[in-house]
Amino acid sequence: MRVVAGYTVGIAAGVIAWQLVGQHSQQQIFVPLTDTLHRLGELVSDGTLGGAMANSFATYAVGVLIALVVGALGGLLLARSELIRTAFEPYLTGLYAAPMVALIPFLLAFLGFGFWPKSLVVALFAVFPVLLNTQRGAQSIAPELLDVARLYRSSEKDLWIHVIAPYTLPFFMTGVRQALARGLVGMIAADIFLSANGLGGLLISASQVFDTAEMLATVLVVTAAGIALMAIGNLIERRFARWKVDQ
Amino acid sequence: MKHPAAESTTVRRAQPVADGRDSRPEPAEAATGRARRPWWRHPAVVRAVAGLLILVIWQVVVETSGKNYVTRPTGVITVIPSVLTEHLFLSDVGTTLTAVIEGLAMATVIGTALGLLVGRLPDVRRILGMYVNGVYAMPIIAVVPLLTVWFGYTPTARLVVIVLEASLPVIYNVAEGARTVPRTYLEVTRIHRAPWWRVWFGVVLPASLPYVLAGIDLAIGRALIGAVVAEFIAAINGLGYYILFNVNSFHEDRAIVALIVLALFAIVLRALVSLVIRRALVWYRPV
Repeated sequence: MRVVAGYTVGIAAGVIAWQLVGQHSQQQIFVPLTDTLHRLGELVSDGTLGGAMANSFATYAVGVLIALVVGALGGLLLARSELIRTAFEPYLTGLYAAPMVALIPFLLAFLGFGFWPKSLVVALFAVFPVLLNTQRGAQSIAPELLDVARLYRSSEKDLWIHVIAPYTLPFFMTGVRQALARGLVGMIAADIFLSANGLGGLLISASQVFDTAEMLATVLVVTAAGIALMAIGNLIERRFARWKVDQ
Repeated sequence: MKHPAAESTTVRRAQPVADGRDSRPEPAEAATGRARRPWWRHPAVVRAVAGLLILVIWQVVVETSGKNYVTRPTGVITVIPSVLTEHLFLSDVGTTLTAVIEGLAMATVIGTALGLLVGRLPDVRRILGMYVNGVYAMPIIAVVPLLTVWFGYTPTARLVVIVLEASLPVIYNVAEGARTVPRTYLEVTRIHRAPWWRVWFGVVLPASLPYVLAGIDLAIGRALIGAVVAEFIAAINGLGYYILFNVNSFHEDRAIVALIVLALFAIVLRALVSLVIRRALVWYRPV
């Protein structure tokens, strides 16, 4: 009972606060929830939102896909080859430490602002968690597992298919969860700083004409997308966590 | 991230099994002959060669692209002295790094307080938890245009963006830490009839400290992103704007130096956090 009451109070407080603050502030600063939802309805019915979402999520999907493939392959390579690891790990750590958004002006100058550069930005944001988690997983395989496989004269190929891949998969999925969230940040950044279209473009154009209702409506959509992606990520991660060798 | 209470399993595993197995050589390591490695396989040499290789590839790619405004290693090296002595650059380094440190400090205080409340009080968790989750799932970049309307194109807007970015991982981690304070600790406080403030500040807060630091560690990268994004969108003076301005005026070599400073700053801050974890939280062994 108290649980339900708690959540109800939480939602009600948020809704009422939004409405009241909106009603008592200037139109350009903040608008009530009802106005925001009204504007959201308009954006949906005139197709603006649908178009922007299709645009943004196409970049997102391609970028995240690139990140998953590159991250998985790179992570395995780093984990299995000591030479490559010692050679490139410090530089990767350095690149990872740099705030990715700061790379955007360089990419814009070098590659322009079309679909592929935008996907590349998403991939850059999303690739490191996949890479690092895959590497950590593949590197932490218990020697016993490899010993047993070798004892049974497992070929290198079978070793990868039956030991390394299944062992590493849950770690990779942790990377996938983080990549889904970070890719969304990359998507909005690419929308805002490269060609201003998609959801980020909506935010920018709305802010230029002080259309606060449109900004808030877009933020709501982006937040909903973020929550949905986080839920999907958690689901995927938990689904594969069962495989994890208990240690 | 596991709580110290979960450590027992690891400890058990770490004990050698008494069958002499631990005396066997490590298979992969022994095969590469770690002890008698030729000089060119020494890590420092390998790293230097790899670094050189990256620089050469970078240089060649840029040269062949024919875009002569694009930055290349030889260009960066020649501008480093003039950038590092440039007054504008130094003041930009100062303002951005100060803003990031300020923002991190504010985020630590706000995040710890909110995190403890959300983690320890179920009612607060039900009311605030979904907002914390929602804002954590939302890319903060998406609200920066709105924040520039609210706070103007001012350093205050940047500080707000940094605090927003940085406080969420702290709240999230501290809430997790506070929620999982071992029950036995709290039972001891009850046995001793400890007043509430000693429970919170004597038990719950110290038990959550490792989580505060884990949150700060995550917050560092986000704070820097926040600073750069705010400077890009609102054209506030700082390292981010220095990068944007120099790239747009075809001085990419100078912009790269600013990028390197940002990365170094993140590395140094994170190293400091892990130093604090190792020195000040000796009692805590991360799993």
